[in-house]
This record gives sequence, C-alpha cells and structure tokens, in this order.
Amino acid sequence: MGDTHIVAVEPDDNVATAIREITSGETVTVDVGDYEVTVEVAEDVQFGHKIALEEIPEGETVYKYGLSIGTASEDVEAGEWVHVHNVESNYGRGDLADESATA
Amino acid sequence: MTDFLGYERPDGSIGIRNFVPIIATAPYANDTVERAAGIVDDAIPITHPLGRCQTKPDVFQTYRTLLGYGTHPNTYGAVVVAHAGEIVDGDELAEDIAETGRPSASINIHDENGVMNGLKATVEATQEMVQDASAQRRQPHDVSNLTFGINCATSDTTSGLCQHKATAGAAWRLIDEGGRAVFAETPEFFGGEQGLADRAVNDEVAQKILDYVDRWEQRLQETGYDVRGAQPTPDNMDGGLTTIEEKALGALVKSGDGPIQDLVDYGEKIPDDSGMYIMDTPGHGAESVTGIGAGGAHFMIISTGQGHTLSNAIMPTIKITGNPGSAERVPEETDVDVSEALVGDQTIEWATDQLWNEIIDVVNGKQTLSEVLGESQFAIHRIGPST
Repeated sequence: MGDTHIVAVEPDDNVATAIREITSGETVTVDVGDYEVTVEVAEDVQFGHKIALEEIPEGETVYKYGLSIGTASEDVEAGEWVHVHNVESNYGRGDLADESATA
Repeated sequence: MTDFLGYERPDGSIGIRNFVPIIATAPYANDTVERAAGIVDDAIPITHPLGRCQTKPDVFQTYRTLLGYGTHPNTYGAVVVAHAGEIVDGDELAEDIAETGRPSASINIHDENGVMNGLKATVEATQEMVQDASAQRRQPHDVSNLTFGINCATSDTTSGLCQHKATAGAAWRLIDEGGRAVFAETPEFFGGEQGLADRAVNDEVAQKILDYVDRWEQRLQETGYDVRGAQPTPDNMDGGLTTIEEKALGALVKSGDGPIQDLVDYGEKIPDDSGMYIMDTPGHGAESVTGIGAGGAHFMIISTGQGHTLSNAIMPTIKITGNPGSAERVPEETDVDVSEALVGDQTIEWATDQLWNEIIDVVNGKQTLSEVLGESQFAIHRIGPST
C-alpha cells in the first residue's frame, strides 16, 4: 500500500497531492487507481502541494481529478514539485487573446 | 423527517433567525444606518457603495439584492434609509418589503431635515420593530423548508479532498429531506463546466451552464490580462492550488454529483422546488455570499482550506475545514473541524455527520462563531461602471 499522505485522485492523474511535508531525496510510493507509482522526490514539497508522478514534457497536459488542470510550461521530471513555476492555466488567458484570435 | 424550531413569516417562509436589517439605499445613508445599528441592539446594518449613478442592469441588481435582504426568511421586518432622491428609491423598496406582509419603514434623511432627525427617526422605527420581533416564538417545522447555501473560501488542495465532500454530503442530505441547496462562483467552474452540464436535469439547463461559463471567460479575456494572481488567489497558491482549473475542479466537489435543477441570476430568489441550484456569481467570496443571501438561503456553509473571516449578517455562517493546521491556526474560523477525515483516520460519512449535527443546532438557534464575533461582509457584485 502506498503512502496515505500523498493522494492521486483518479487513475489518469499524473500529479499527486502531498498532505504532509515531503523532503528532497525521499522515495515515495503513491496509490494511483489499482497500481502503485514509486518516485524519488527531487525537492522539498510543502503540505498541500503537488509532485509529478511521471515525466510531463513541456506543452503536455497536467491531470488531476482525471481532468486537465493546465499545461506544463517546461519539462517536468517525475518526482518534481508541480506548481505555478512549471504549469500554466488554459482559461482566462486575456494575455493570449490576440494570439488565439489570429491562430 | 427532521424538524427544527423556526419563525413563521406572513408569506409562508420559515426563518431560523428573527433579524431586523436597516438597509441603506445609497452610500450617503451608510453612516446613519451604522449609527442606528450601534444604538439598537440586534439590528443588522446593511451598507454599500452602490444605489446611485449606475446603469440599468446594475440598478436592478442592487435593488434586487437589497430587496432580498429585506424579505429574507430570517428577516422579521426592515427599516430602509435613503438620503434624498436616488435611482434605488427607498419608499419603493419599503413598499415591496411590506408586500410580503413584513413590517417595514422608510426614512429619508432629506425629508427629516438632516442627519440628526434622520438618525432619530431610524432608531425609533428600528427599536419598535426589534421589540416586536423579540416577542415572536419559534415553532416546529420540517427541514424541507430550508435552503442550504454553499461557498468556499481560501481554498487549498485539502478542500477538494475532504471538507467539500462533507459539505456536499450534508447538502444532499437536506435535499433528500425535501430542501434546497445552492452553490455559486461561476468562474470557478472553469475546466469542470462540461461535467456540470452533464448533471443538468435537461438540455436547457445544461446550455445555460455552458453559456454562463463562456460569458465569464469572455469577460476575463476582454481585460487583456492573464487571470493568474486574481485566480487562483495568492492564498490559494500558498495552499498548493496551481491554476484556476485545479481550483475549479476542487470547488465543484462541494456540489456533490447529483442533478442540477436550474441556474439563477445573481441575487435572484432561489426556487421553492427541492434540489441543487446554481447562482451565477463571481468567485469573489463577499460578492458571491451576498448574492446567495439575497436569494434566500437560510444558512451558509463556508468550506475552507486555510480559514477565512467570510461571513454573512443575515445567513448564519458555519465554517468547516479539513486542514488540521488551519483548525489550529485560526480556531475562530473553524466551527467544524473534520481534518481527521483528510488522511483516512475517519470517514467522509463521519465528517458529514459532524457538519449535519452542527447545522441542526444552528438552525435551532445556536450561534455560529462569526455570529458571536459579529463578523460579516456585504458586497453587491457590480456589472458595469458607475456613471
């Protein structure tokens, strides 16, 4: 059984939520649906923040609750902290409105 | 069926409190309203910066919201205070309140020859109403009379995993007993709107949900800015929420997974039929909760990650958290602590029972922490510019 303090909501999720402090270098096992994923955590992760369960290349979708919560804005390795520094929203992007209008 | 002790209104609604609000129609009546409420114990001041120099959609929204407070099930009667001639007309508002059979009074500061006499008239009208209200007794009624308001505040990643599930559980328990529930915050549906539309009772309601989300998306696009920083808010991001989609998918957990009956506009009266409703509001908590209050919800659940002062004067506000750190850090913002259910030491059913039991106590008269502390915010959502 995986660590009950690191939660993947749906089997399709490629991130999991830490409900404890995780320390850089820890190897953690997370239950994802019917299987377990083991990753080495690359950096300290605060309570409530997320780690990548697998590699998420730049431009790929980040999944939580089995749905998109945004797009990786840079390559993310398994075990990395996933937050605003490497994920971008696809909604409310007035800054991209002109781009999408001409695309 | 579950009973509670509530106050009967002439229009047939049942209140869980017996409030007398003093309602300002424009900012120039705010000081008189605040001063009168400071003199008369138990009166509720309703003040705001709106009610004049607004275009029609905003005038309508302001009027409807103020009327919703004057005719709320928890309202015994209301005193309306105007400054002079305004677009939101004090006499008209007082008359519309009186149409529900509630006592109402209309004071105009100019007609009273200024603030001193205006204050005296406001205090006299209010003290009489508060004393009459205090003579009324609670009677037993079925909980099917109740409407359950749901909002989140200072969400974090624990919200969607724990406290929102308990909130949904309690809301659907009330709906199963014939009551109503309403949740809101349309921009916090981003990314989950299709799942929500799939829960609609018919195609028309499904389309309405998608249209409302599109309208908010368009309004945000038109600003020319990235929504990040505004949504998720800095406190959400501290709590681990990365994008508005992630916040939304977590936020939607608080509505459960049952059918969506209908969607109502900001401050619009929530229908009498049993079921789960949506009110179209911004994610801005004070504006959202103010709209839900105008819609007639009897009490409010604030499901919070990191704790929040967000409360409403007319709907007793019960705060639930599943974040153990928050329950310890901000105890007066935690009516119900269900953090034992966050990592499986307790079940979500247990958490739902904790919240349900607190709700039953509160609807019977137990004061929430924010009521005891006199915490409340009132902010009507504005659509367009002032003129």
